[in-house]
Amino acid sequence: MDNFKRKFVEEALDLINELETVLLRIASNPEDKELIEHIFRIMHTLKGNSAMFGFSMIDQYTHQLETIYDLIRNGKMKVTDDLMDLTLASVDHIRNLLDEDNSGKEEVQSVHKDLLGRISNIIEGKTSQPAEKKEAAVEDNGIKTYYVHFQPNTDILSNGTNPLFLVEDFKPLGNYIAVPSLEQLPPLQDMDPEKCYTSWEIILSTKESQDKIQEIFIFVEDSCNLEIIKVCDNDILSQPEIVSKIEEITINYKGIGLQKLKEIASADEKQEVRNAQLTPRSVEPTTTLKNISNIRVSSEKLDELINLVSELVTTQAGLSLIAENINDKELLVIAEDVEKLSRRLRDSTFSIRLIPIENMITRFQRLVRELSHELKKEIIFRTEGTDIELDKNMIEGLIDPIMHIIRNSIDHGIEKPEERKKKGKPSTGVITFKAYYSGSNVYIQVNDDGSGIDVNKIKHHAVSKGLISSDSSLSSKEILDLIFLPGFSTAENVTNISGRGVGMDVVKRKISDLRGEINIDTSINEGTTITVKLPLTLSIIDGLLVEIDDAYFVIPLASVNKCFEFKHETLVNAVNNLIFVNDGHIPFIYLRNEFGIASQCPDLEQVVIIEYGDVRIGLTVDRVVGEYQAVLKSLGTMYKKQDIISGATILGDGTVALVVDPNKIINQFNYQNQINIS
Amino acid sequence: MAKTILIVDDSESIREIVSFTLENEGYNVLVGEDGQDALKHLNKGPIDLILTDLHMPVMNGIEFIKAVRSNADYKTVPILFLTTESQAAKKMEAKEAGATGWIIKPFVPAKLIEAINKVMR
Repeated sequence: MDNFKRKFVEEALDLINELETVLLRIASNPEDKELIEHIFRIMHTLKGNSAMFGFSMIDQYTHQLETIYDLIRNGKMKVTDDLMDLTLASVDHIRNLLDEDNSGKEEVQSVHKDLLGRISNIIEGKTSQPAEKKEAAVEDNGIKTYYVHFQPNTDILSNGTNPLFLVEDFKPLGNYIAVPSLEQLPPLQDMDPEKCYTSWEIILSTKESQDKIQEIFIFVEDSCNLEIIKVCDNDILSQPEIVSKIEEITINYKGIGLQKLKEIASADEKQEVRNAQLTPRSVEPTTTLKNISNIRVSSEKLDELINLVSELVTTQAGLSLIAENINDKELLVIAEDVEKLSRRLRDSTFSIRLIPIENMITRFQRLVRELSHELKKEIIFRTEGTDIELDKNMIEGLIDPIMHIIRNSIDHGIEKPEERKKKGKPSTGVITFKAYYSGSNVYIQVNDDGSGIDVNKIKHHAVSKGLISSDSSLSSKEILDLIFLPGFSTAENVTNISGRGVGMDVVKRKISDLRGEINIDTSINEGTTITVKLPLTLSIIDGLLVEIDDAYFVIPLASVNKCFEFKHETLVNAVNNLIFVNDGHIPFIYLRNEFGIASQCPDLEQVVIIEYGDVRIGLTVDRVVGEYQAVLKSLGTMYKKQDIISGATILGDGTVALVVDPNKIINQFNYQNQINIS
Repeated sequence: MAKTILIVDDSESIREIVSFTLENEGYNVLVGEDGQDALKHLNKGPIDLILTDLHMPVMNGIEFIKAVRSNADYKTVPILFLTTESQAAKKMEAKEAGATGWIIKPFVPAKLIEAINKVMR
């Protein structure tokens, strides 16, 4: 059903886009019969389909709109500007309704009511008066906007206060933007790490009183400068254009200032008055609708942008290098600024396409809660690494297969509480969803501590299905892979929960569609782990640049834990290739040997501890150069077979540095040494 | 990992009700009967927050806060003290000694949790 529903949403979005185009055309040709007919048809389709797929709000809504266009079609009404505004607002509203996560929200509901009211006004022959309504809405919600300037004394940290907590305390009050100001920041050499040099400007739109804001700072009143000033009596943060204006001003951690903020706020009020006077033929969506400022951009344009940013990053590395060599203070400052800016440019360019995995987590949480309840099992759902971001398309493609995997874990994996107790396990089962980067991949793992998969049963089943012959000798891994064969999953071994007509073969196919791989690891009574490996579309990574002899290597910063310095002889004499660092023994790889670099090694060598999953190992290098943003270039098919390098990057001076893949290094090491290093 | 809170108060009933409340919230709780007694906990491992009374025998709250702050590991650990509405001067004194904030007695559990959440997450 979910699939059908998505199909409908897709279809409906197309229809709405079509509707929008037609509406814009009719704005200049209000008498065009054919266009009216077209609009009517779209409304009709939307109405019928939405009723079928349970979008009752859309059904109700489009029914009303359809009535209007029916009247127009029959010549009983004319297309007016009001109506155009209303229909365009409706387009946006229906889009919101199609997003089920969205349609329950209060704001959407109130827009719904408001728009329906306007429609019935039109039908009853009254003129709609959106302007009045809008003003009423502004007065009704009672939200005021405050400007808070919070400048803690520099020694505020020394009495155990964390000023960030105070800033976070604004969250329950309402919408806010907090802008840190670093203007007081001294040069690095004069900086005392135990002092706080940051001040904050916070713009808050809230229903709460000024006292409530004051209360946040109760413990620090005497150790900070605090200004709380009301800016205006409406909620300026709900208006995307104002927010973007504020962001524009504060992009470089420069303060915004009360004066400027007031200007922005009052400029907005004027605009609202102008909007209220209803400009003729205005085809802009009304401002009562929020978060609709999306632009569709073709993916080629995005790719081009990302390419350009990649080039810029490489060029910037060159600039930084030259600045360092010349060692001119002013040039260094500029180079540093360019680096900062290009980093931000890079991040925001990439973020255009990325959304955090968190976005799909709520669905899984609901699934676990509802299903475990239904099956009378006690299950805790844990998540890790949900801040990892993935291409939006990839996330959309992942939801279904991951849902299926989790469903399997709940249904077949985790046992009933009584059964778990008998096995000596805690009665509550745990399903862990974990996401992490490794090299140029993102891994998503779903792990349960349930009954595991019985390999013999799988084999038995596969034989009875005729998928393999009874005398075939397969390794247990090969047998597990049978699960992914089409025709393995059948009605007799699935309950009504997992048996939704989707087998693991479909899961595998969907993952492969995303150029990913899927893997099962299971052990009886201990649980099952399903790992999905996905390619990272990111082409730039933050890395640690290191040097061995004259060769440069980049280790992805995400997997770097710590760096240590060791004497060469300590490493040579280490027993079992283990070194002792802060909290225990850690195996290390002598990269110089691995890469066959024969030259003389320095007396002092650096060990970079990398982390992958639960495993930590050290990599020895000659020198740690520093942080580096690496534009990943593929090595080409010639190097496809090697295991440790995931790509290459070009340094500022044109040298090539190889990007190592921590995941593969660890795997290979594990394999070579046959020791358990976890 | 559950966070650890050290409670310092000479009244057993206060120690008990506060421990009970905090343990219910999922915190690890350590207790000290006065400042001197509480200091023994400092070297045993990380403490994430300290909650202390001001009036105590042997070593009072102000001395205790100063002693905690002089320990390099506890320079920025949040310290809350228990006080009554009327003791404005005491409040200043404790803040100057290095306390982060205060909780006004008598308090209900919800207020206690609220104050803790203000300084520790």
